[in-house]
Amino acid sequence: MTQRERNWLLVAPAAGWFLVMLVLPLSVVFIFSFGERGAAGGYVPAFTFEQYANLPARFTAFQNTLILAPLGTLAAMLIAYPLAYQLAVRTDPKWKTILLVLVIVPFWTSILIRSYAWIYILGGRGIPALIEAMGLGDVQLIYTPFAVLIGIVYGYLPLMVFPIYVSLDRLDKRLLEASSDLGAPPLATFFKVTVPLSIPGVATGCMLVFILLMGEFLIPLLLGGGKVFFVGNALVDLFLQSRNWAFGSAVAVMLIVIMLVTVTVYMRLIARLHTSRDDVSVM
Amino acid sequence: MDSQASQAEYDGDFGSGAIRPVAELRGVSKSFGEVLAAQDLTLRIEAGEFLSFLGPSGCGKTTALRMLAGFETPTSGEVLIDGERVNDLAPYRRPVNMVFQSYALFPHLSVADNVSYGLRQRRPRIERRTIQDKVTRALETVRLTGFEKRRIWEMSGGQQQRVALARAIVNEPKLLLLDEPLAALDRKLRKEMQIELQDLQRQLGITFVLVTHDQEEALSLSDRICVMRAGRIVQIGTPQDLYDNPQSRYVADFVGVSNFFDGAVFIDAGGRARLRLAGGLEFEGRAVGDLAAEGEACLSIRPEQIRLSREPLEGGLEVVVQNRIFLGEHTEYLVRHAVLGPVIALAPRQSEIGASGFVQGERAWIDWPDGAALIMRRI
Repeated sequence: MTQRERNWLLVAPAAGWFLVMLVLPLSVVFIFSFGERGAAGGYVPAFTFEQYANLPARFTAFQNTLILAPLGTLAAMLIAYPLAYQLAVRTDPKWKTILLVLVIVPFWTSILIRSYAWIYILGGRGIPALIEAMGLGDVQLIYTPFAVLIGIVYGYLPLMVFPIYVSLDRLDKRLLEASSDLGAPPLATFFKVTVPLSIPGVATGCMLVFILLMGEFLIPLLLGGGKVFFVGNALVDLFLQSRNWAFGSAVAVMLIVIMLVTVTVYMRLIARLHTSRDDVSVM
Repeated sequence: MDSQASQAEYDGDFGSGAIRPVAELRGVSKSFGEVLAAQDLTLRIEAGEFLSFLGPSGCGKTTALRMLAGFETPTSGEVLIDGERVNDLAPYRRPVNMVFQSYALFPHLSVADNVSYGLRQRRPRIERRTIQDKVTRALETVRLTGFEKRRIWEMSGGQQQRVALARAIVNEPKLLLLDEPLAALDRKLRKEMQIELQDLQRQLGITFVLVTHDQEEALSLSDRICVMRAGRIVQIGTPQDLYDNPQSRYVADFVGVSNFFDGAVFIDAGGRARLRLAGGLEFEGRAVGDLAAEGEACLSIRPEQIRLSREPLEGGLEVVVQNRIFLGEHTEYLVRHAVLGPVIALAPRQSEIGASGFVQGERAWIDWPDGAALIMRRI
């Protein structure tokens, strides 16, 4: 067997998997998006751009997703970074493992159950009742964009913590000493050494969380109460309830296109931030 | 200089031309939990000198350096820089710079940005133009002109070493601390860098403090060497002083090579120190260090002091040649004496030219000149 054949053999299982589970379904979705809805639902073959012309009907879903997904990513990053920093840089190595396990403990229970817990916490008898008891007035938390934001940040925080933790943990601590030795106070060292060197971790975490958030539907369903819905909710509705497969496919294709564009732009941005760092600061 | 004058200088009387030490350790100890890493270190570092801390790993030499840099706070005692107590002064406030063992260069910055890092931290800010000039000059000093825009990972080990040096010297520190800076380089490059370091130190006039476990490096570079063992300073002196007058077997063994013979010391009728060995052998020697008048001690003789002869020597010892290693300018012989056991003798090339030298199994005689043997502590 030649080296070339062996290489093919090694990638064959993954290639087969991706072909059957990714390329085929995506092709089906793409083809369906140019079709029409049958009288009893489902799909009737056709070639029309009608479904794409109808996309504005789902504008709100796109709007919610495109506001709350980046916002949720940003919030998760801002919360995860200090936590990851504390764990990676400041924590005694013998506690690290235990604390890291604690970060992923929530994953041991289904997100469904945990979201139900949040329904209670944010619902009438939870935090709003507490605020009312304190005489601060009547607030609605559940079924608001804010509730959805809390839910997604809560759900995806561990995914953000880990990549940042890894990049900070790998950071050579002698670089921090070198910075201090060269006269940089702790804050300057943080922004000039720690932050730049943890950018790869932050970028990975943000990418991971953002992509998953774009397809999220469970948290908006439970904590948004049908008022704050994502594209994911629109898809569930179109495919399972109204059985409009053609329009659902068009919405799905649109989501994929948006994601491809944003992720590409994002990656370009990160790459540029990384390589141009010295050009910018070269005296 | 009499002891009174040096005491006055020590107490901070800098009149009458006395030079103030650039840094000083006064009874400094450092413990990490149960472990005593440094004990009662007292040392003055003079302006412009090249001082080395020499010792095996774990002897506390790096801890001493890190206390000067400010990365470790002494458990007790005082660290002074430029006459001021700096025990609690953070590293970024100290006028010292360090060259780290693995260089610790910033991988996300270019060579020029690494070198200018310290200058850019200064407040009030230094003018861009000035920073640029200083960086150019520093890179020139370490012969890296033209490498400004390079990334760190594009540089070889020796070049990275030079960047680390430039990054430190560009700040014109009062004290340049070097933590085993040449350990990562191969032998040939290390030799070159040693010469460059020495040139650099003379050229800049900055005080260098080097930490090393390599005696050869310490001997060839330093004005003074501070030999350490188990957290304590064992002996401080010039390289020649340490080599010629080691105060203990530890120093004699660490600085150069020596033959040691264990025995009991006593003072003979003439008031001279003698060592009695097993088998009734007795040797006269110069007693060094804080040696008790009687008790366990050892005799130390450097291999190059030992004369090897085919003819019987008066008062010499009869030996059998066991091994011969040709070292170029010297030939090293391992000979065996019935009582002393193995003895290393170094014969200069000169005495052997034309002659074939000794062969294995040959009978020979050894002796050494008066005063070549030292009697010292066994540790």
